[in-house]
Amino acid sequence: MPPFSNDTARGLDRRGLLASAAGIALAGGLPTAALAQASKTGVDAATWTPDYINKIAGTEEFDTAAECARVVPLNYSGRLTYWYWGPNQASSEIEKTMDVAFWKAFAATYPNIKVTAQNLDYNQMLDKLRTAALGKSAPMVARLPILWGSEFAAKGQLMEFGPKDAGYGVEEFWPGAMKSVTWKGKTYGVPTNNETMALIWNADLFRQAGLDPESPPATWDDLVAYSKQIKDRTGKNGYGLVARVNAGNTPFRAMPQIWAYGGGALDEADAAPTYQKIGINSPGTKAALQAFYNMYVRDKSVPVSALTNTNTENEDPFIAGQLAMMIAHPSEYAIMLDRAQKATGEDRKIADTVVANMRYGLIPKGPQRRAVVFGGSNAHVFKPDLVEGGQDLMAVKAFIAFMTGPEWSIKMAWNNSNPGNVRAFRSKWMRERLDTIKFLNVTTSMLPNGIPFPVLPQSAEVMNIIVPNMLQNVLTQKLTVDAAADLAAKQLKDLLSDL
Amino acid sequence: MALFRRIVRHWADYLYIAPALGVMLLVIGYPVYFTLYLSLFNTPPNLSLDDKIFVGLDNYARVLGADSVREASVNTMVWTVFSTFFAFVLGFGAAIALNREFIGRGLLRGVLLVPYVISAVAASYIWRWLYHSDIGVIGAAAMALGLADHKLNFLDNTDTVMAALIVVNVWKEFPFAMIMMLAGLQTVPDALLRAAQVDGAGPWHRFWHITLPHLRNVSMVTVLLLLVTNLNSFTIPWIMTGGGPAGASEIWITQIYQLAFGRIRFGLASSYSVILFVVMMTIGVLYVRALTRGDARRAG
Repeated sequence: MPPFSNDTARGLDRRGLLASAAGIALAGGLPTAALAQASKTGVDAATWTPDYINKIAGTEEFDTAAECARVVPLNYSGRLTYWYWGPNQASSEIEKTMDVAFWKAFAATYPNIKVTAQNLDYNQMLDKLRTAALGKSAPMVARLPILWGSEFAAKGQLMEFGPKDAGYGVEEFWPGAMKSVTWKGKTYGVPTNNETMALIWNADLFRQAGLDPESPPATWDDLVAYSKQIKDRTGKNGYGLVARVNAGNTPFRAMPQIWAYGGGALDEADAAPTYQKIGINSPGTKAALQAFYNMYVRDKSVPVSALTNTNTENEDPFIAGQLAMMIAHPSEYAIMLDRAQKATGEDRKIADTVVANMRYGLIPKGPQRRAVVFGGSNAHVFKPDLVEGGQDLMAVKAFIAFMTGPEWSIKMAWNNSNPGNVRAFRSKWMRERLDTIKFLNVTTSMLPNGIPFPVLPQSAEVMNIIVPNMLQNVLTQKLTVDAAADLAAKQLKDLLSDL
Repeated sequence: MALFRRIVRHWADYLYIAPALGVMLLVIGYPVYFTLYLSLFNTPPNLSLDDKIFVGLDNYARVLGADSVREASVNTMVWTVFSTFFAFVLGFGAAIALNREFIGRGLLRGVLLVPYVISAVAASYIWRWLYHSDIGVIGAAAMALGLADHKLNFLDNTDTVMAALIVVNVWKEFPFAMIMMLAGLQTVPDALLRAAQVDGAGPWHRFWHITLPHLRNVSMVTVLLLLVTNLNSFTIPWIMTGGGPAGASEIWITQIYQLAFGRIRFGLASSYSVILFVVMMTIGVLYVRALTRGDARRAG
């Protein structure tokens, strides 16, 4: 039996979760304000346990059309341009199905709004949007990963637009998510979905390596040791390290480890971050860098291709039983299931074994904390003068109301995230997810450990360039741990002083 | 005044080229002007371009003084010189081979053209998988054939990454050189070659004294185009390594792209682009001058 069934999370008791929730409340993930908001949404973030999540699921019905009609009449006639990062070839079938269903449902709800939507590649979307905004040909609405919005807000390219404009209360969204759409006290977006990742492992490889197949590494030091033991005993790679520059996958996997050791890029993991204090050359960051070095250079227990890989390239070795552990989204199980079903012959047997032995657990703790990136996406509205043909604000309101309401915020996040609108946790769809998606309670349980990336316009540069470059300098032995961290600190200092 | 008189005298000629000139000004002239203009401003990521800060030549000083630019310059020279040299030599060799009549020549010509017609993006992904340090075909084949006792690391190694990328680039570019040189070879007068043969000139002498001089202009154009293409290369290094690991395959263009779109420093990236533009123009002019030196005297 996997360590986390849909009912109980091993090693994660109610007390621990409450403590974590309280801690993260101070850190901005679930501020205490959220606790008082439970009466308005029927969702109490202070008692965020797998039991509680199970208990509230399926206790409320929602009528999306009626909620939208309160904002924009359903017979409204207009047009909308929309860019998003949606399902691609690597996505699970359910994501693709939900995407199709979303567009069908929106067309049925607002038959007179003509939508031109572009589904863009994650690694190209930011550049395209920057260029489009400069060229005054931005879309009316863009759904962006949580990290990107502040840059556009700081440049004055976004319209002030918040949950109230879409007919929802601010209390319906995670406070940490609201923080990510806030720039200089003003709101520039509505959260669509929020998630945290977890650790997945192949129990069969653990068994072959002489490890307890049902126990994930409790700490990052354990993970380093497990990775080495797996490599030594089986010849397979232990941990799916990712260190490619300019790929969002890298900071999402590196930062939890850096935060766990007490480090950070700036002071984003602090209770009251200022985003002005540099933490990238702190002892905590250096300890984490040393752990990366130990896995890649000393033990050679991770893929050599880590420097050019994104996490997608780790999926093949994992399903082939050649990789034992990696940090992954909640959707990874569905992706692996899809891959297994597409395999044939001998490959199918191997893939089926891997899927049967796939386990989800909490990301390891470090000496300072257990941490994970508080991820997700937000819907943003561009200013009329940057949009080709101008804005159709009513169409925008209708669309965002539809997308961020309980029904579609949960359906669009079906197996790879969680709804941005917390009321959705009370819906029948949440009940269905809990009943059908393996390990959902584990990934949802990580939410209280989430730390948002710094809400700064240069966050993408910090996370996608400076942090991965620091990793590469260490892993290629171009620089020592100390020198790489100090160089990154200098780059961060220059970056902050340039503004 | 003289120019004005000339325009008036040939007004119809200028009228004919006016549309082309207009398009050129729009799609080349304006971007060049705007890049020059932008290179004089600081454009931090928290400001829109309308709020840019005038800094004069500061951006040029920052680019020229940066250690990372020096590293990228060395990489760019290695990339450009080796890519151009091997693509030209390989292409020329293939052209000489294909200039002879033999069975299957058409088919072979088609096959050799395949790398050129494949999209650079697709080729980069294919080669990335061939080279892959853990599950790459090349590494696995080398181990299966007993040529290596461990998986080969091409792209994740700072010592081998540039050579690995140059191989891909040469593979992609040599058909272009082949086509150019093949076209040139077909212009060499057959009568001249036969006359030389009658006079007792061997194959080497015919090649050296007749064929090669005839190919001088086409060689010059081919090498120049290869040089410009390689100095402007982006797709292969960007997709295969993103400039890594640790900057070992960072070249000018990937660095400019990173500055502009990764770090949102349009001013700095513009000044870098202007420097690259000047370097390329200088190389082009020097190269053409070197190769055409003495032409006027010979013509006179």
